[in-house]
Amino acid sequence: MAAPDYIVEQVKRLSEESGETFVVTPNPIAGTELYAVYACEHWLPPRYTRDKGLLGFRVPANLPLGCPEDSFFIAPDDLQLVVADPVRNSRDINRAGKSTGILKGSDLGDISVLVFSWHLWNKVPWDRGRHTLLDHYQHCLRRFEQSEHD
Amino acid sequence: MTKLPLSKRATRANVACPRQIWDAISAQLKAQAPNEACTFALTWPSVGRERATAIIGEPIWPLTGEVQATPYKLEISSDYISRALDAAIDAGPHCGLALIHTHPDTQFGRGIAQFSARDDWYEDRLFPTFTVGRSLPICASVVLGSGAADVDARIWWDDGGKAKVQPAELVRIVGPELTLLETPYSTWADHPDPDVMDRSTRIWGKEGRRRLQNLRIGVVGAGGTGSIVLIGLATMGAGDLSSWDKDVLKKENLHRMLGAIKAKLGAHKPDALAVILEMVATASPFSFHSHPVWGTSADALEDLKDCDLIFSCVDRLAARVPLNDLAYAHLIPAIDVGSSIHVADDKRVDAVMTHAHVLSPGIPCAWCKQTITSYKLMREAQGAQRGIEDRAAYGLTPEQTDGVEPSVLALNMLGVSLGLMEFMQVALGVSDRTPRDLKFILPQWELDESDLNTQRGCTTEANVGRGDSVRIIPYEPKDAS
Repeated sequence: MAAPDYIVEQVKRLSEESGETFVVTPNPIAGTELYAVYACEHWLPPRYTRDKGLLGFRVPANLPLGCPEDSFFIAPDDLQLVVADPVRNSRDINRAGKSTGILKGSDLGDISVLVFSWHLWNKVPWDRGRHTLLDHYQHCLRRFEQSEHD
Repeated sequence: MTKLPLSKRATRANVACPRQIWDAISAQLKAQAPNEACTFALTWPSVGRERATAIIGEPIWPLTGEVQATPYKLEISSDYISRALDAAIDAGPHCGLALIHTHPDTQFGRGIAQFSARDDWYEDRLFPTFTVGRSLPICASVVLGSGAADVDARIWWDDGGKAKVQPAELVRIVGPELTLLETPYSTWADHPDPDVMDRSTRIWGKEGRRRLQNLRIGVVGAGGTGSIVLIGLATMGAGDLSSWDKDVLKKENLHRMLGAIKAKLGAHKPDALAVILEMVATASPFSFHSHPVWGTSADALEDLKDCDLIFSCVDRLAARVPLNDLAYAHLIPAIDVGSSIHVADDKRVDAVMTHAHVLSPGIPCAWCKQTITSYKLMREAQGAQRGIEDRAAYGLTPEQTDGVEPSVLALNMLGVSLGLMEFMQVALGVSDRTPRDLKFILPQWELDESDLNTQRGCTTEANVGRGDSVRIIPYEPKDAS
């Protein structure tokens, strides 16, 4: 089942307004009614071991009635910090775990990604009449703007 | 004698109105007796497969001097007509106008709710102004007699550049209860042998029995709760039932579908119930329309606009969204019934809930009651990966489930009983108050009524009575369960 027109249109607007090339998976993720929206060559923060990578998130077919998942993912899954975080004494990216299965059945294949659960929408609840994918994307970028450790 | 341009916009025509607006208009106009009185009001169209409805909205009251009234006639100024028309055009391409006026008691007798020869003459000249060149709106004219239930109504529309008119059979007043006023063109009929339901008639009277016989009730979903609703309604005396479900009867769902028999395995669920419904129905005549499609598909939503009341017996939250929207936008009250059983990790049932919610203007909508939230819709869409975002970031694998909820007849019967009690209140007015929504919960063994109010800025509330101007997004599940 192809992505609904609303999601396709939202992805187009997100690309225009962000300057990044976002696309949506042509089919839902296996076992779900979710579609992955992603950009293959998205900029990454300088503290990461690569300056570009995959960045995406999953949205329900009935967006905006249903909200995006409160998380996003990046790839490749071996991304790390260039310099170890002195608080955690680790080069692993904080609050990001490797996961497979979340892109199963999509055009990306069942690749392993790093999934962030950063409680993106913890301050302002999703408003189906007002918020768009651009709002969700901006919430994702907050993670890159904030410090690495809690 | 004016020859009105009679035609058919649809097989049936109705006028509908939110109760708050109807009561205000009726009270203000009738207070001007012994003079006749009138007001314009905005209208919104609701067009189904067989029924076209003009939904009356916000009144545009006359300013001082715009209407000259006597006990026998009204003179409406051109300024008032222009002002009303401007308001309708400003409100959007779907918006039309209604003219509502009164026939009060006079020295010559009772105020009769019937369009007079002068009314015909006047409206034949007035309504082309409102309709011609505007193809989307359905306009209306209504006359109120001196009795509370005395009404006559008709709808007007543009048919290829010419104004046409069709008498309306019913005026539906909604919020939250459903009141149906029959016009002289009503096709309702009484049961030919009313003694067969004497003990029910003692509760809701002859008027209630007449309503049950003639109400068009739609039941979306004919499974665990829908089957019980259908058999309950048919037994109680409902005369016109329709049901939508694309799912089929399987040996796995026989144990929780009332009225299902093994001989009907493989049949679509509504078809599987047709025989038993004919056997138990007490209404006469009785008709059951079976639709083996999803009740929230685009086609089914068109058919649902022909109903007077809907039962939502769906098992997906996403399906409740268009039914919620339809109830408020098209003034078709819905009763949503559902159950859920939570099984803990050790496979014991640790919580059980069944609910029946009225969805009708004057009652907070499903979004305000938090039956539907964006978060719950997203979780439902996660399907087999429900809750994965809480696990994946910590390297935990998704907990795969088959997404199938437990279900049992007894719990569904309890929820449906609550729903049928609410139906008795909404459609038959058996008590003073319509409850908000009712939930039975275990392990507390409590019946709880929601105390949540309509939220500020609720879009469902803002769309009350806006009919076809509101875009309702159909929903079809990916796979039949």
